Amino acid sequence: MGLLSIIRKIKRKEKEMRILMVGLDNSGKTTIVLKISGEDTSVISPTLGFNIKTITYQKYTLNIWDVGGQKTIRSYWRNYFEQTDGLVWVVDSSDLRRLDDCRMELDNLLKEERLSGASLLILANKQDIKGALNPEEIAKVLNLEAMDKTRHWKIVGCSAITGEGLLEGFDWLVQDIASRIYVLD
Amino acid sequence: METEEEEALSLSILSDPTLHQKHLSMIERLSNRHQTRVDNSLARRSDSDSNSPSSASAFLSRFSDSKRSIEAHIAQSRLAYPTDPSEVRSHLDSISASISDLEKLVAESSFFLPSYEVRSSLKAVSDLRQSLDNLSSELIPKKKFAFKNKASKRDPTTEPKQTTAEEKSVSVSTSHEKLVFQVRDSPGFRGKKGEILVENFKGSEIGEFTVSDLDSCEVKLIGSVRALFVHRLRNCRVYVGPVIGSVLIDEAEGCVFVMASHQIRIHNAKGCDFYLRVRSRPIIEDSSGVRFAPYCLSYEGVEEDLRDASLDEETGNWANVDDFRWLRAVQSPNWSLLPENERVQMVNISELGGGIEGN
Repeated sequence: MGLLSIIRKIKRKEKEMRILMVGLDNSGKTTIVLKISGEDTSVISPTLGFNIKTITYQKYTLNIWDVGGQKTIRSYWRNYFEQTDGLVWVVDSSDLRRLDDCRMELDNLLKEERLSGASLLILANKQDIKGALNPEEIAKVLNLEAMDKTRHWKIVGCSAITGEGLLEGFDWLVQDIASRIYVLD
Repeated sequence: METEEEEALSLSILSDPTLHQKHLSMIERLSNRHQTRVDNSLARRSDSDSNSPSSASAFLSRFSDSKRSIEAHIAQSRLAYPTDPSEVRSHLDSISASISDLEKLVAESSFFLPSYEVRSSLKAVSDLRQSLDNLSSELIPKKKFAFKNKASKRDPTTEPKQTTAEEKSVSVSTSHEKLVFQVRDSPGFRGKKGEILVENFKGSEIGEFTVSDLDSCEVKLIGSVRALFVHRLRNCRVYVGPVIGSVLIDEAEGCVFVMASHQIRIHNAKGCDFYLRVRSRPIIEDSSGVRFAPYCLSYEGVEEDLRDASLDEETGNWANVDDFRWLRAVQSPNWSLLPENERVQMVNISELGGGIEGN
């Protein structure tokens, strides 16, 4: 308990949150990160490795780790698990063929002990594309209701291109993390 | 405190003879280490260069040996396993460790192995993992009960199957084929052979489009789409107007693609030519023998469509391919530029058989 309270204190002072963005390739992780930090999203190459963005959100500092989703580099995701406060799982809602892959990768991720305390935000991205599944359908396919009851999670439909839904999602995530870590504020 | 000490140290190195001595010996040690490292890497390189076929076969025999032994272990533990759960666990851990070793062996050998061997070896490793997973879920029936409870409520189609973890994994792989949402297929061309398939998106609402399971077809997509998914194509020619979002290609063999897009990802392609215009860097993964050239498509109004999609500018990125299977500074052996004298001329898709075979 002693160690935990020390960690809490340090975190409280810094008001920092570590957020990990993962998901299959082509789901729009980098576009989302650039969009919420107000940068140009018109030229984005597939992520080879990872990007880190630090943005100030309300009174918190978010360190967002955007990790590439190509199959070859998914095995490196685990290198970023340590001390993750919030997990953002991004889904390409228009890629119907790979929803099964998407579900399996998410299941694997949630088995990870180091992520067991992290709040989970699922972004059903690309809602602006005609034919994309809506968040309720995505929730069904990913079988989110069957998730471990102790997990804090929420699914939000969004579009990284228009920016719609991103604020709602990150608002929830930041509030949820804050209510866990900074309870004594 | 520490920085002070360091400062003092670096200052006194020159003046104090013993410290100077230490400094020299440290430099010597460092250079020794560097030398051995260089030697080692040279040895390794010459080793693999001089006799790569034999080291490949050495790898194969070593690989199959350890694979067989792991399989034997797994089969054995299924028949007669220890009853003490902690013993079971350590046993499984040791099998898992030997699978990891095997994987490491593949990774270390991957640079001299033909890509087919690398793929089949990795496949074998993941099969081993799978059977170990099955085994461990048989021997250590952990959260079985909790899962059954919730899952049966959610998913009535697989309801009777949720009894053991192993059966669950089976039901997942079977449901893979008939995904819950087959009901709502996205627009696209699927499962054709030897046909000319034309779709004109002009004037329609822009959405995603899928081209999958085609053999020896010619696909012409006129106008803009938001996203394009390409899956399992053989000997096809695919001509596409601007894609405003991204293109995802998975499994293509002996095909020619002419496409313009903001992002292009190419997976599992073999022997294909790509004529691209891309705003970002195209990537390939698990592909070989793919060649790249600039975009060369025309139809009535293509310039306007490209401009509306912000794809009118030639960025030259068609030649800046990233190979996710080749993270080294030297050119990847998996892709190359298509020599100019082998490139096709401008492809015009507006005049040839427009709209005969719409979907």
